[in-house]
Amino acid sequence: MSDEESELQSFLATLKSQFTVNNFKIQGNLLSLTTDSTTYVELATYLKEHDFARCLTVSATDWLDTNEFEIYYLVHHLKNNVYVKVAVSIPRNKPEITSLSTIWKSAAMHEREMWELFGITFVGNMMLKPLFLEDWTNLPPLRKDFNWRDYVAQEYYKTEEE
Amino acid sequence: MSQLLKAIKTILGIAVSKPMTFSFPPDMPLTELHRGRQLYKPDLCKGCKICSMVCPNNAILMVEREKSEENKTGLQPQIDFRKCCFCGLCVDNCPTGALSFTNFPILLTMKPETLNYTPEMLAIPPTLEHPEAPKIKNTVSWARSRSIWIINYMTGCCFIEAVPWVASSFDMERFGLIAVGSPRHADAMIVGGYVTPKTLKRIIRIYSLMPQPKWVISLGNCPMTGGTYWDSYNTIKDISKYIPVDIWIAGCPPRPEPIGVAVVHAIQAIQGGYIGKEEKTNTDAGKMKLPTYSILEADSGQAQMDFVFGSQHSASGNFNMSLTLDGETVVDATPNPGYLHRGFEKLMEYRTWLQNIMLVPRICVLDGASYELAYSGVSEKLAGIEVPLRGQYLRVIQAELSRIQSHQMNLGFGGAATGFDTNERIIWGDRDQVLLLLEELTGARIYHIFNTIGGVRRDIQPDFPTKTNQLISYLRKRLQIYDDLFFHNKTFIDRTQGLGVLTQETAIANDVTGPNLRATDVDFDIRTATPYEAYKDIGVKVVTASKGDAYHRFLCRRQEIEESLNIIERALDQLPSGPVCTTKTPEDKKITWRLKIPQGEAFHCIEAGRGELCFHAISTGENTPYRVKVRGPTFGTILVMFPKLLHGVKIADVPVVYWSLDQCPADHDR
Repeated sequence: MSDEESELQSFLATLKSQFTVNNFKIQGNLLSLTTDSTTYVELATYLKEHDFARCLTVSATDWLDTNEFEIYYLVHHLKNNVYVKVAVSIPRNKPEITSLSTIWKSAAMHEREMWELFGITFVGNMMLKPLFLEDWTNLPPLRKDFNWRDYVAQEYYKTEEE
Repeated sequence: MSQLLKAIKTILGIAVSKPMTFSFPPDMPLTELHRGRQLYKPDLCKGCKICSMVCPNNAILMVEREKSEENKTGLQPQIDFRKCCFCGLCVDNCPTGALSFTNFPILLTMKPETLNYTPEMLAIPPTLEHPEAPKIKNTVSWARSRSIWIINYMTGCCFIEAVPWVASSFDMERFGLIAVGSPRHADAMIVGGYVTPKTLKRIIRIYSLMPQPKWVISLGNCPMTGGTYWDSYNTIKDISKYIPVDIWIAGCPPRPEPIGVAVVHAIQAIQGGYIGKEEKTNTDAGKMKLPTYSILEADSGQAQMDFVFGSQHSASGNFNMSLTLDGETVVDATPNPGYLHRGFEKLMEYRTWLQNIMLVPRICVLDGASYELAYSGVSEKLAGIEVPLRGQYLRVIQAELSRIQSHQMNLGFGGAATGFDTNERIIWGDRDQVLLLLEELTGARIYHIFNTIGGVRRDIQPDFPTKTNQLISYLRKRLQIYDDLFFHNKTFIDRTQGLGVLTQETAIANDVTGPNLRATDVDFDIRTATPYEAYKDIGVKVVTASKGDAYHRFLCRRQEIEESLNIIERALDQLPSGPVCTTKTPEDKKITWRLKIPQGEAFHCIEAGRGELCFHAISTGENTPYRVKVRGPTFGTILVMFPKLLHGVKIADVPVVYWSLDQCPADHDR
């Protein structure tokens, strides 16, 4: 076992004693786990206090089958070179979660992207306005139920034919 | 005295050395194995339709032919070069070898329909034909043809191949061409690649501001048919529906040579009296309405004013910033990205795991190899595939060559941003030598598509190590010249030292990575922290600098070029023998273009030229990914850190800070 893995093992043991975490898995120097939406923020504060200074991304996956969005953040500890990924599932019909922008400054822009491409509201993020798309009126494009083929056919091929 | 001797030596050196500029018409500085126009051998085709199924761009249509003993279905391929991106999946997957590549790259026309090649046309080996030069109409038309000024707007990825024409390698000024910043001085516009609705509005505005007569050259497949992004929700599919286009050049991206040939054709046509198509713009189609702009009043009495930097600016890339100025000093800055958003993460969900390799390098045109590497890495992690050692070494060589050319590109932009155009010209000229070597190795200059799931697509040629060692010693000498002109130059030092200073804490808190982070004295490089491929055996010396200002960021990249040369040298020395690619998965299934990857998810991070690049892929056991998240290296640096760095910076220094961070708008827009 590498140094990083044993580091993560002991870190995970500490986390388990303080928080409700599930589905934990260690692959190389990455610890991934899932939690609930209250612990999601508490854990972020805890990680920030424990030198996980770099927030690499906040991202989402659309699971149509279970009608849920899975949101996760990936943070990195520079000195120990370990990554932690914390995921949480929220219902698709009420996509709301507390923003991490007060904890990691760089999270705000990633949340803005997820707001635009998935339509997830990050409560407390002051930057939620269009980032990449101009005048977009359709469903958020990265959602699985966004009918992209129809959209492309209608918006581009048909309009350009006329 | 020694200074004088040095100067004489330099001048003599220049006098006897071979010029950096390639001759024109091109003596084709091409390798034998460049992926150019396909050649079709009707006798070998058995009509199996695999080529048309595997094509990620729907460029191949099966048309009818006479049935025969070999060809039982009575079908044969017709290739539409308005769509083909020369990825080579059709040639790789052709079971009989009926389709093969020639190294011919020049496909251009004034009528795009003629680029749809029937099987009969595909069977004829290609040759370069110039149209007959028409007579010079009058003095005005002759003079006009010799001084075509081109508007400087880097719209999409094809622009990367227009850039060598600025450099000493191709040198457009010998044709009387020059890149200008204002549309009112421009004669021609180059639409360089895919056009998003956001960019289109600006293109239409620029086009309508150009004086008559005006010409439009369209580069690449995307403005013609949508090309690689034929199903993207955010790129337009046919630019001629919005503005008239005079010359179309096919390719993805086209090489610089066809651009030169197109210019020669244009010069001939213009001196014969061609004044372009009738001016018209279409702003009604769909949502292409032009945005309104407010006009600045100089004496409005306000202390502060708003100022727009980009997206059409010589130093902005296709990226826009709203600046608030107090006099000449920036007090506030807001980024406005999205001009290059193509929705990669959506597109990847609808292509197979293997087809996606052809797509991913297009995320960042300046350093495509890293994206191939990271994506192949994440797929292999998911499928549990082990790459043979020789394949890993070749991947390292490709990635390091790509890092060198990416850093050279950046140093050139640094030269341009500070007004040192000489640097830009010579460094980009040297970059072309690196691209030629990459082409030797992979078969393409920009989008190599060298990686595949399980290894790399081909082994090196016997003379590759010699050529590489020659280039390494050449570049080592050139680095001394960059130092003399650039890094030891007092003017450059005064301009860039102490400018845009990043402290270690802010850099880490704002997710700055790569050379920008290492310039703040952080010793973090994924190649040593979490070694991937063969980096552990080869070894990497991490380059850091201490001050965190613009100068040291440029310096860090210059030192990294040197270290990359060492890495390539070591890799070639230790290059193990054996296969370059594995063909079976651990479950003993053959790796095909429809490979199904077992259920699961994986992260893979690598050190790209610009910093930490991570791919997160989720598989549900299908032959397409369920979700891929690309975490590009410039997202935090440019969208979060850059605006903050500008506070208190003079307006003229904005491009310097910008390029010192090594921007790639296509990377954060995706």
